Amino acid sequence: MSTNTRKRKSALREVWDEYKRSPQGMFGLVLFLIFLFIGVGAPLLTPYDPLEDRGLADSMARPAWMRFFPKYRNAPVTVDALSLRDWNVTVEENVRLEWGQRGEEEVLFVSPAGPGPARFVMEYSFDYHSDPPDTFILQVPYSFEGDTGVTGRAAIVLVDPSGDEYRMWESRVMRNQVRWTTQRVDSRDMQLKTRLGFRPLANLAHELIDEKGEYRFLLQFEIDGADDEKGATVTVGQSRFRIPGRLHGPLGTDHLGADLWAQFVYGTRTSLTIGFIVAALAVVVGTLVGIVSGYFGGWVDELLMRLVDVLIAIPFLPILIVFVAVVGKSISTLVVLVAIFSWMSIARLVRSQTLTLRERTFVEAARAAGAGPRYIMKTHILPNVLGLVFAALVLLIPSAIVTEATLSFLGFGDPRVPTWGRMLQNAKSFGAFTELAWWWILPPGLALTILAMAFVFIGNTLDDILNRRSSER
Amino acid sequence: MGRLVVSDLQMHYKTRKGNVRAVDKVSFTLEPGRALGVVGESGCGKSSLGLTLLRLLPKNGEVVGGSIRLGDQELLQLTDEEFRKNVRWTKMSMVFQGAMNALNPVLTVGSQIAEAIVAHEQTSKKEAAARARQLLEMVGINPDRYHHYPHQFSGGMKQRAVIAMALACNPQIVIADEPTTALDVMVQAQVLKAMADLRERLGLSMILVSHDLSVVAQTCDDVAVMYAGRIVEYGPVEEVFTNPLHPYTQGLTQAFPDIDAERAPIVSIPGTPPNLINPPAGCRFHPRCPLADEACRRIDPELAEKGRAGHKVACLKVSDDGQAAEVKFA
Amino acid sequence: MNQQNDVLLEVRGLVKHFPLRRSLKQVLQGQRPAVRAVDGVDFFVRRGEIFGLVGESGSGKTTTGRTLLRLDEPTAGQIIFDGQDIARLDAEGMRKLRRRMQIVFQDPYDSMNPNMDVFSIVAEPLRIQGLDKDPEEVERRVVQALEDVELTPAEEYMYRYPKELSGGQRQRIAIARALVLEPDFIVADEPVSMLDVSIRGEILKILMRLVKERGLSLLFITHDLALARHFCDRVAVMYLGQIVEYSDSNSLVKRPHHPYTQALMRAVLSTDPRRKHIYTGLKGEIPNPANPPSGCRLHPRCPLATDLCKQQAPELTEHAPGHWAACHHVERSLAQLAEQRREAAGSAG
Repeated sequence: MSTNTRKRKSALREVWDEYKRSPQGMFGLVLFLIFLFIGVGAPLLTPYDPLEDRGLADSMARPAWMRFFPKYRNAPVTVDALSLRDWNVTVEENVRLEWGQRGEEEVLFVSPAGPGPARFVMEYSFDYHSDPPDTFILQVPYSFEGDTGVTGRAAIVLVDPSGDEYRMWESRVMRNQVRWTTQRVDSRDMQLKTRLGFRPLANLAHELIDEKGEYRFLLQFEIDGADDEKGATVTVGQSRFRIPGRLHGPLGTDHLGADLWAQFVYGTRTSLTIGFIVAALAVVVGTLVGIVSGYFGGWVDELLMRLVDVLIAIPFLPILIVFVAVVGKSISTLVVLVAIFSWMSIARLVRSQTLTLRERTFVEAARAAGAGPRYIMKTHILPNVLGLVFAALVLLIPSAIVTEATLSFLGFGDPRVPTWGRMLQNAKSFGAFTELAWWWILPPGLALTILAMAFVFIGNTLDDILNRRSSER
Repeated sequence: MGRLVVSDLQMHYKTRKGNVRAVDKVSFTLEPGRALGVVGESGCGKSSLGLTLLRLLPKNGEVVGGSIRLGDQELLQLTDEEFRKNVRWTKMSMVFQGAMNALNPVLTVGSQIAEAIVAHEQTSKKEAAARARQLLEMVGINPDRYHHYPHQFSGGMKQRAVIAMALACNPQIVIADEPTTALDVMVQAQVLKAMADLRERLGLSMILVSHDLSVVAQTCDDVAVMYAGRIVEYGPVEEVFTNPLHPYTQGLTQAFPDIDAERAPIVSIPGTPPNLINPPAGCRFHPRCPLADEACRRIDPELAEKGRAGHKVACLKVSDDGQAAEVKFA
Repeated sequence: MNQQNDVLLEVRGLVKHFPLRRSLKQVLQGQRPAVRAVDGVDFFVRRGEIFGLVGESGSGKTTTGRTLLRLDEPTAGQIIFDGQDIARLDAEGMRKLRRRMQIVFQDPYDSMNPNMDVFSIVAEPLRIQGLDKDPEEVERRVVQALEDVELTPAEEYMYRYPKELSGGQRQRIAIARALVLEPDFIVADEPVSMLDVSIRGEILKILMRLVKERGLSLLFITHDLALARHFCDRVAVMYLGQIVEYSDSNSLVKRPHHPYTQALMRAVLSTDPRRKHIYTGLKGEIPNPANPPSGCRLHPRCPLATDLCKQQAPELTEHAPGHWAACHHVERSLAQLAEQRREAAGSAG
């Protein structure tokens, strides 16, 4: 009915007008909107997947903005060459280059263009101005295929800013066929250290990348003995080079070098979703039970209220833990379980409200006109409890969120879903507390507190307003 | 004992929509031992007047002008603390509408009265208890019921107990706001009787706020008829009720059915009292008044003595010698 | 008198007990304690008549009205409405019958859902009765009902909300809601007791006009004997769940037979300050209806009570044409009345 919608709008408007005047309510609302924005905008706020993208920086890297503190001004930053396209071809003697596919991977085929020795060098250069890094790692996948008599050689060379060359790796002479291998150069490799003349316990990354300036990694290939008939092909895959930074992103990284901001942002999304779904389920069940119980009274009321008592009396956490152990760690089970243990307060609230409403004269008037229970519950009771239910819903959300976080923290969360509780659990399990990795512990902890507080502020304000409205008539 | 002189008292409730002028330049004098009835419709400011006198206004209520003198003391100049200590309950006390529901259900009635005495006077508990028994007897309750709880009292007894409580500290003035409104006629009679007896015995002054003309007619010496925050007619109750001059008072007296009269249709005053945020210009009653003319819409009549001594009325249509047109409401 | 045809509603032996919670002892002894709110009430209402039911709180007058409409289920007795016994009607039959009998409640502030506008409130009975198929017809009837209660122009009120309206306006809407089904019988339960004296008359005049124009019957429940005297054609006085006296209103006031009615009349305060008199004749207050006195229920308070009154409940008997009273000592009671009247005249003169 058009008149009805007009009314609803004006009632909402009135509530809002009153709400606006409450500083507490507005503060809560602003906090909530910030979290809502973070949760909804998660994919826009971070390029990373919270669970899949690991090793984005060193493990437990600090937040990038720590650079503003003198101690971390020159902390190593991440240098990353993820793709072969980041490498430049610098020497190209008698070679034919061709880009192609190897499975999913983009690769470069290098073969002699004509008779005689062929030489090919790719280079990745980067400017480095931070303190020496702890590690670096280089991976070069390649293979060789040649006719008899044709040989190949490959090498990886590091050139530092002062021009000193370090041969990090040299292949043996390659003949006929060398299968697809990934050559790794790892600064922690002891053999490499001794081969380059350092002590086995020296930190190679510190020794080699100790100047500021341009560093170059060279990937050298030579093919010998090709002629008009006989040829060979060197295939180079996606070569990666990285120096894992000690600083990363807005919130640093966890033990796997995964982005904590991404986890936080997606965790916000999960927390809010869980909070709303649990609260919505609880409200639907609680309202229904409350109205039916309060309106009919008698044995229906007795039965439903005893059920409520039983559910309230059951220790909630142990039951949940047993249930999760039996049914499995899935987010939907968790939501349903938490909802099952959350609707009772709403049911009691709605029941008591219904008991009063049932005696109100306008309900009598409807009965006098011949209205049945269903009509009265739908038309006269439900709309008059909705306001209070809404306030209760808002107050239920934070407890649902905290419950979920508690369960995740205890390790009963869904491993496929990023949540704040899981962040905290990981932080606890993987040494964030001993390392004092505050950037890992504080954000989910504070966010839980602040979000819960925001909801309590909003809920209290609404409760005040709606209670006042329902007592005026 | 001093007299209570209220002059030009103004009290506003501050609301978001503006100031509600609930009490607007109200003046009257209450001589010792007299009873003043304040009558009017709901929203005319009669209850606010009582609350203002006792400083029991809600937060948004504020006295904006006038004076309240009790004897030679200006009450408006006292601090809240002084007022609470020296005036409220000890000189002026109050009986509220439905006050019987204000008794604490878990304490005995007697102890609640004794409590009121101890709170305001330096007496021992024993003395206070003795006084409480005496007070119960005065309002017609057997003092042996000192140890009974409120639920063991009937409605009328509870209301009388509350009156006893109001008298606990020997006040000079009792303000009773609709003291019998929720009671049945026979119980009302009992309570009013108890009040009348007390007044006589103790020489109390009383302000009785009521919408019920008959209660005022039976218990008061003087009457003030309030309309829209103002007193529109004032005088001895016999004079005002038998010879009402203001059209509003005439309407009120006609609207009250008299059980002894022949069967007749019941009369009403058309319209509703005005909004006190923005009251009508001129005489505030003019939108409902059958006699209203141009002058009434413009000129705000003063409360002035017309005709017989002590009979004051604020109406342009009443001549200076107290001749008023008879207004017939239908 | 051809009573049969012009009687719309007849109540015979109506009883309504509200069971109380039983203690274990009472359960074991098979006792069923109850508040005997209405305890054997007989009366009838003619077509086009205003019948007043007067009593103090706790007299059972409101419960009687509610039980007539089956808002409370009667414990026993017959309620014959236009030849049909309502007390035995099934739910569907009752639902249909509700089109013909409606109620106006005391509290105009509580009788409307604050979330509904005036149109929805007045149209609600039509909706409930399934008479809302044609929106134009609904609107016509709502407008008609609002005009009937002098809320004109109806359009100005239709889309307002209860809280924007004064008590008097709300009570008119409550009457319009009762009228929209075009009933033959309306129970008005203290419809003006919460309104200011100055506007009571308007509401009563509307009710009076409807009764005259439409031939409606009205059961007017009130605690105010003076009001009943002027507004009602016939009046019944209730005390502790029983009718103690009834007659036409003139005769009731001029010659009250029952000591209770006499006391009730004398307790009404006069608005005339020259006749100062506060009557506190009857001792005490209404006893607890869960445990009413034996015999005549008034006997513990009655100045005329004898042993007979303690032992035997008096029957309602016709003492003058159409004037019924339930008292063993009507003669003494009338003598007492005459003496009081003489005294009053003496003191006034």
